[in-house]
Amino acid sequence: MSTTEETPHAHIVRMQAVSKLYMQGKITVTALDRVTLEVDEGDFAALCGPSGSGKSTLLNLVGGLDEPSEGRIWLENRDLAEYSRSQVARVRRDRIGFVFQAYNLVPVMTAYENAEFVLRLQSVPDAERHERVMAVLQEVGLDGLEHRRPDEMSGGQQQRVAIARAIVTRPAIVLADEPTANVDSVTADAILDLMQKLNREEGITFLFSTHDQRLMARTHRLIYMRDGRIERDDIRR
Amino acid sequence: MIRLAWRNLWRNRRRTLITAFSIGFGVLLAVTFTGTGDYAYTNMIDAGASMGYGHVTIEPVGYNRTPTLDKRIGDSAALRADALSQPDVRDAIVRILGQGMFATASNSIGGSFLGVDPASETPAWSLLLRSLVRGNMLRDRDGSGVIIGSKMADHLNLDLGKKLVYTTTDASGEIVSEAARVRGIFHTGINEVDNAFVMLPIDRLRHVLGYRKGEATMVAIMLRDQRRTRRVRDALQHRIGTSVAVLDWRQTQPDLAGIINIDRSSNYISQLLIGLLIAAGILNTLLMSVLERTREFGIMMAVGMSPGQLFRLIMTESFWLACIGLLMGTVITAPWYWYLATYGIDFSGSIGHDYSAGGVLIDPVFHIRLFAESIVAILAGLFTLAILAGLYPAWRAGRIPPVESLKAL
Repeated sequence: MSTTEETPHAHIVRMQAVSKLYMQGKITVTALDRVTLEVDEGDFAALCGPSGSGKSTLLNLVGGLDEPSEGRIWLENRDLAEYSRSQVARVRRDRIGFVFQAYNLVPVMTAYENAEFVLRLQSVPDAERHERVMAVLQEVGLDGLEHRRPDEMSGGQQQRVAIARAIVTRPAIVLADEPTANVDSVTADAILDLMQKLNREEGITFLFSTHDQRLMARTHRLIYMRDGRIERDDIRR
Repeated sequence: MIRLAWRNLWRNRRRTLITAFSIGFGVLLAVTFTGTGDYAYTNMIDAGASMGYGHVTIEPVGYNRTPTLDKRIGDSAALRADALSQPDVRDAIVRILGQGMFATASNSIGGSFLGVDPASETPAWSLLLRSLVRGNMLRDRDGSGVIIGSKMADHLNLDLGKKLVYTTTDASGEIVSEAARVRGIFHTGINEVDNAFVMLPIDRLRHVLGYRKGEATMVAIMLRDQRRTRRVRDALQHRIGTSVAVLDWRQTQPDLAGIINIDRSSNYISQLLIGLLIAAGILNTLLMSVLERTREFGIMMAVGMSPGQLFRLIMTESFWLACIGLLMGTVITAPWYWYLATYGIDFSGSIGHDYSAGGVLIDPVFHIRLFAESIVAILAGLFTLAILAGLYPAWRAGRIPPVESLKAL
């Protein structure tokens, strides 16, 4: 894994000398500093490091939620810079799943509708949509709770809905930003079990950002970041 | 998308209802303003038509510019038949209109005379007959009777059965006089009419003026609906040719047309201002709603909603808001419209005794009436405003990069 140019087709994500600069008042802040990284199919990898080290920025750039100041990012061998905003949205819809620290569910939608939302955007036919949503809700352990709205569910249940939403389209990669930060340890373990199972059994690639030692302990790869750079990249397969 | 937009709208029920009510109130105001215009203008135009010229007039070429009695149409009966062949025409009346001097032993006054065929004149098409307060209608076409206005009667010290002498110029420009006896007195409420209008029998007048049988100065055409005026005028002109002039009320009564135009313009400006206020209210609601949900939109875009889909979502919310507002407007406006259309509000106490504008009688009771096209225009106009007000918030929502939206609280 992680050497450039050798087997480009195996890389889900490839970043080359990517920098991200922000203006904070009159001061330029370097959130990412010429980062080069590859993530392969089937990876279960975590970005770790102190707050402000650039973990979330990196996830946002890989997910096309933000644009790099310098450098290039390929997702499944397509340069994201080649896409229009609408095309990037389509890539996110079809090829990327997001799981956020704060769950980020749509409050007026039930668990079912939140999980269904992306399939609706994809115009999946009704019957197939229903089948897939029910299957994924069962997969994440939420069968019977499909009609609950986010404010009627615990943090762990909401995060499961977020995972269901992220994987219902069978994306190439799931980007998870501190997915266990807001849940208790029992729920965190259950969520990690679920993600590991999805990675193992369905080959879904996961890239996390985390401070959580339990999550780090379960990954195959730990990418240490500091001050916007990759300090160390440990592969433990 | 449609269901989600509907649900989003009810997340802040009070705000949605207040905004919908403001659209509804806009419907009420627009209906009141437009309905006032539709009713009042029709009323004024119909009243103006019944004062002599009709909605459309067939007259000699050049008579409108210089109305002298040497100009006349020949076969008025044939022209009347042409007019009656038009489907929108309700009636056509042959008349002679001219200027003269009216005198008694005690006084004299200048004014206008209207030569009419008593058999074809009805109160429906004649304001003067509608306003008859004393005496009777003229008996025959060749009689010596005359109907005068109440103010003229006072001025000339006339009463029923008294003698009046009128003097005018005939077809060849000679001054001619004739005596007549007052058979009826009308009171329209319009000073310039009550003071200076006289109705004479047409055949007697032809004799005085030296007109041949069938000659007249106009055929006054009454329409079923004043909105068809231009269509009828053009159709008749095409049918009859250019040997005579076919004019509509705007040409024969330019003062009235001017007053209606000015009033209509100020009405439009008022409605535009009201519309802008309503649009600002909708814009405010949608913008607030968009700003409140910036993070949520960030989530939606993060999971794959495109800026275009987000734009459509907010425009759909705008659509629903417009529908609710128009529905609410219909509900609150219907009883108001019914009351004003049926009973109206009587302002006669505060208007005084002269209920006229541009020499035309106006109704002192405030009524409204809406034409079908006005209803469509109001609903379409307010609907369009509501949709337009949604454009900026919808555009703005899609412009914020997802990463910025996700940072919003």
